[in-house]
Amino acid sequence: MNNNLSSFVVACNDQCTGCRACEVACFTVHNQKDNKVAHTVGTVEIPVTPRLYLTRLDESCLPVQCKQCEDAPCLNSCSAKAIARVDGVVYVNEDLCIGCKNCMMACPFGAMEMLPIAKKGQAVKQIGSDEIRKSAYKCDLCIGLEGGPACVSTCPHDVLKLVNLEEDGKEKKIKAAVALTLTGNL
Amino acid sequence: MIINIDKDICTGCRECAEVCPASAIEGEKGKPQEINYDKCVMCGQCIQKCKSYVSLIDHGVGVYEAKRAERNLPASVKEPLFAAYSNCNLDKVKAALADKDTITVVQCAPAVRVGIAEDFGGELGTVAARKMAAALRKIGFDRVYDTNFEADLTIMEEGTELIKRVTEGGTLPMFTSCCPAWVSYLERNYPELKEHLSTCKSPQQMGSIFKTYGAEIDQFDPAKMFVVSVMPCTCKEFECNREEMNSSGYQDVDVAITTRELAYLIKDMDIDFNALPDEDFDQPLGLYSGAGTIFGVTGGVMEAAIRTGYELITGKPIPAVDVSAVRGSDIFRTATLQVGDIELKVGIVTGLKNVAPVLEALKAGKLDLHFIEVMTCPVGCVSGGGQPKLLLDSERDAAYQARTKGTYAHDAELPIRKSHENPAIKKIYDEYLLEPNGEKSHHLLHTKYCTGENNFKK
Repeated sequence: MNNNLSSFVVACNDQCTGCRACEVACFTVHNQKDNKVAHTVGTVEIPVTPRLYLTRLDESCLPVQCKQCEDAPCLNSCSAKAIARVDGVVYVNEDLCIGCKNCMMACPFGAMEMLPIAKKGQAVKQIGSDEIRKSAYKCDLCIGLEGGPACVSTCPHDVLKLVNLEEDGKEKKIKAAVALTLTGNL
Repeated sequence: MIINIDKDICTGCRECAEVCPASAIEGEKGKPQEINYDKCVMCGQCIQKCKSYVSLIDHGVGVYEAKRAERNLPASVKEPLFAAYSNCNLDKVKAALADKDTITVVQCAPAVRVGIAEDFGGELGTVAARKMAAALRKIGFDRVYDTNFEADLTIMEEGTELIKRVTEGGTLPMFTSCCPAWVSYLERNYPELKEHLSTCKSPQQMGSIFKTYGAEIDQFDPAKMFVVSVMPCTCKEFECNREEMNSSGYQDVDVAITTRELAYLIKDMDIDFNALPDEDFDQPLGLYSGAGTIFGVTGGVMEAAIRTGYELITGKPIPAVDVSAVRGSDIFRTATLQVGDIELKVGIVTGLKNVAPVLEALKAGKLDLHFIEVMTCPVGCVSGGGQPKLLLDSERDAAYQARTKGTYAHDAELPIRKSHENPAIKKIYDEYLLEPNGEKSHHLLHTKYCTGENNFKK
């Protein structure tokens, strides 16, 4: 049965208040190692660069992020081969990204953003100029983080969920099968 | 205004309204919120909670710099800015430091020393009292004093006041008056209970001794002195600007900045906090006991008062310096303590939203207690609105526990742990104040409530 479908994070209920705690948590855990971000806001010296994006509709809001597509348009369109699938996660190597924005055009969900790169708490400049280097940013499911994606564990209203469709599908099929046995038509 | 919500940045999530103990945040869901300043007690818990940041994607390039300037923050600040914020007073501090004719005095609240290191990458709750003293000296303050000394002074005054009320028949229960947000809440909502508040000024405002006794011992002209407080609290700025807080003949404390603002100032002056040596506070007004330092945690004022009150009443050493009966984090806890012939009944309220039922019980005659400590913030000042702000709410409990643990560890490591045994306290009473609750104390260290602009009509 195992088809190796990638997991992904989605908003799964309508309780999102738009507090942006998910974005701040996402930024925090991605910058603890390379950018000296510690426990408090005062340790941050660089712009907030999240990998999921609070999106507002007329009457509601919810964060939007990468679906880790199986035939990922961003990966396929990348002109610098900066995007690869690593352990089921579509991953951007920011050292290779040239900021061509093909991935932004290709992504049907708006899950890619082009944002400044920083190292050791400082903006990284381009080789030939003082302009700041940018890279594509997208959800990487917080690869290697104990406890799983930070946005999921941070959300105060349990809006976000790490979905594994194969397991979800199994559960749904079992429920459907149980329901069928109750109809007496078998 | 001290507490603000930036309409351009607020997403209307109302997470701040959930933590506001005064129900002061008003507005429709999904729309920018407004603060009802008739209700706001300036505790700053909304600032600690808010995660709606100035975003490159949503607000655009250049907005961050514009907002930073609009909020009066130094250009050296690089950290994220959020919708809820407190006004920054560093320009006043920097101007005083730059003026050669001004004598600058600084004092630091107990909780600052277990918070400040976090903004320099330190572990949660790191005790950095002596590094902080070194930082303040390097910034250029002429005297590096300590609010912990005045916390010891508060115990002498408040303990004596309590003993008098219990033995001579005064208004009981007596409430602590260290927390300006709590005092402001009572003045606004329960002015009929004002006689229950201790008449003692808060430790910050007992800083009236800087421009009097402090000026005398150093032969400073008090007119040239500028007193800065570093506080874990956003409401202390309101308190130091209260019109009656001028018993030295001048404004007793000129400006209050938060722990976070001190971190901005240290960074602005290119001081490498983590590389600083350990230094002592200046004497005598920087000498403190463990009792003074536990003012930073819920139950701490109570414990400090018991350590001294017990010995003043019985004349014997207290059997255990750690008064575990009053420690903890339950929102309302009570204890009965045998102090000589007196069966002292005490209560501790932590979190301002938990005080209304206690006040209602008092009004209904159903509260049998002598002394009640009230702190607005969740676990006392270590969780104050001006403390380093956590990036992850999932770390909030761990941070509060670590800062509390650090505070008790600091208490335990100090050579003197009772306010009345602090030699600098003995000295100020010997040569200046003469006796607790005496004439000079009444003038300098005690106050009245619901007066002037704080006389709210219901």
